[in-house]
Amino acid sequence: MQRRSFLRGIGLAAAATAVVKPSLVLAAEAPKGANAMALDAAVKAITGGKAVVASPKVKLKAPEIAENGAVVPVTVEVDSPMTESDYVKAIHVFATKNSNVRCADVMLTPANGVAMFATRIKLGSSQEVMALVETSKGEFLSASQSVKVTIGGCG
Amino acid sequence: MMGKSVILASLLLGTLAFGGEQFAMSDADRALYAELLENNPADMDVEYGGELFEENVGGEAGLAKFLGVSEDALPGYIAGFPRYVETLGAVSGLDQVLQAIMAKNGHEPFALKSGDMFAMSAYVKSLANGEKINIDVNANEPMKKAYALGEEVFTTKRGGRGLSCMSCHSSDIIGSVLRTQPLPDLGVNNAGGTWPAYRMTKSSMRTLQRRFQGCMNNALLAVIPLGSKEMVALEVYVTEKAKGKAIAIPGLKR
Amino acid sequence: MAGRKALIKIKPKKYKTGDVVKVSFMVMHPMDTGLRKDKKTGEVIPAHYINDVKFLFNDKPITVMKTWESLSTNPVFTINFKVPCEGELKVIAKDNKGEVIEKSKKIKPKG
Repeated sequence: MQRRSFLRGIGLAAAATAVVKPSLVLAAEAPKGANAMALDAAVKAITGGKAVVASPKVKLKAPEIAENGAVVPVTVEVDSPMTESDYVKAIHVFATKNSNVRCADVMLTPANGVAMFATRIKLGSSQEVMALVETSKGEFLSASQSVKVTIGGCG
Repeated sequence: MMGKSVILASLLLGTLAFGGEQFAMSDADRALYAELLENNPADMDVEYGGELFEENVGGEAGLAKFLGVSEDALPGYIAGFPRYVETLGAVSGLDQVLQAIMAKNGHEPFALKSGDMFAMSAYVKSLANGEKINIDVNANEPMKKAYALGEEVFTTKRGGRGLSCMSCHSSDIIGSVLRTQPLPDLGVNNAGGTWPAYRMTKSSMRTLQRRFQGCMNNALLAVIPLGSKEMVALEVYVTEKAKGKAIAIPGLKR
Repeated sequence: MAGRKALIKIKPKKYKTGDVVKVSFMVMHPMDTGLRKDKKTGEVIPAHYINDVKFLFNDKPITVMKTWESLSTNPVFTINFKVPCEGELKVIAKDNKGEVIEKSKKIKPKG
């Protein structure tokens, strides 16, 4: 229920740019139970309910198949001039089905030169990894990718 | 040959998927993992190992002196381990040489299984980064014996499932997928040149012998102690498979 | 735990003023989620993870991060940095138990 009204909220809040399929913003398959609330709430706490646009300017790199769930490489790059008047203020990384969906909030400045953050995360199961980007102009952009976690090997 | 295929058929067929289809990583995925090497957590262990090396062994000068080689020749010499070390009267791994020097300097030697020893031996092996593995299994009688013993350990079936290292690491079966992981060719994979390595599933750096123990555990083979004659022999045998390949320490493994 | 190992890496190693380099901060830290049980005692291992990372250049913050337990054990944090001049890069990381890890590296552009 909460998720649907949140989606409607996004739809209504959309201004000039069309909101590209809200289902791409949140996990494609509805996360169950506590996680669903956590993701919606976490995103809303950042955006204040403002529209989030899935954008090709946000490049999220993560393996399609992760050979183990302990060390999953994730890189987020955003196409931005990174000048005082136009830069990426923050990159937020989410593991949409982990017990705690939040991985990192990275507050950048023009001193970075290029908007990029790379790290490694733990994934408890196959799920979508999402990057939520906030620009200095107050826009919210996103990208997500599905990561399949394989469990096996000889110990 | 025949007997081997029968055992494979009965014990492993259920879990093997030839060709490694549905869990094969794409080239793009592999590239992402290769990038991880740039920032290998084991780099911190290796740096720490360097400090331990200076304090306890006297650095490169101390090691070169013990081995009877010049400091310039040290990297190439390290690339030939395990070796027959005359002062120890046995074919030894780098870690055992380091233990001997520590004792000589009046320090309590690090246990072979300790994190400090893993860190220190990794640092010392990294001094040979870029050098080609030049182990000589025919250098002398002890090396010949060690190689033969290593081959015996590698090929002898034992344990609850009647498996040997050969059961999963022989040329007929290499490439098949066992529990989502393609079985590696230990020569092509350069096991000898890429261990010690950071194991992602263990979040820590491990040596090759330690990895052998993990493998034995999983295959239900009695675990052989680190530094034992058999274990050093096994390291000689597996290192020889990667002869000519470059050393790159620390490695990064699943 | 005193003396936690940490490293700052700059790539490439040689750079000029105005170049954008990659800065990575690595630290040995368990990043325990608080969800795992000790195999021997059956007790839950309490959450213990880095929750704050600040990158400063000549004491001025250039990037600050809030981080959580979903990051891998022995984490790495990589960002870009446009080299304005010579100086000192400092990283200050804190964990949820109040431990502080600090590491510095000189920035020396050639040209």
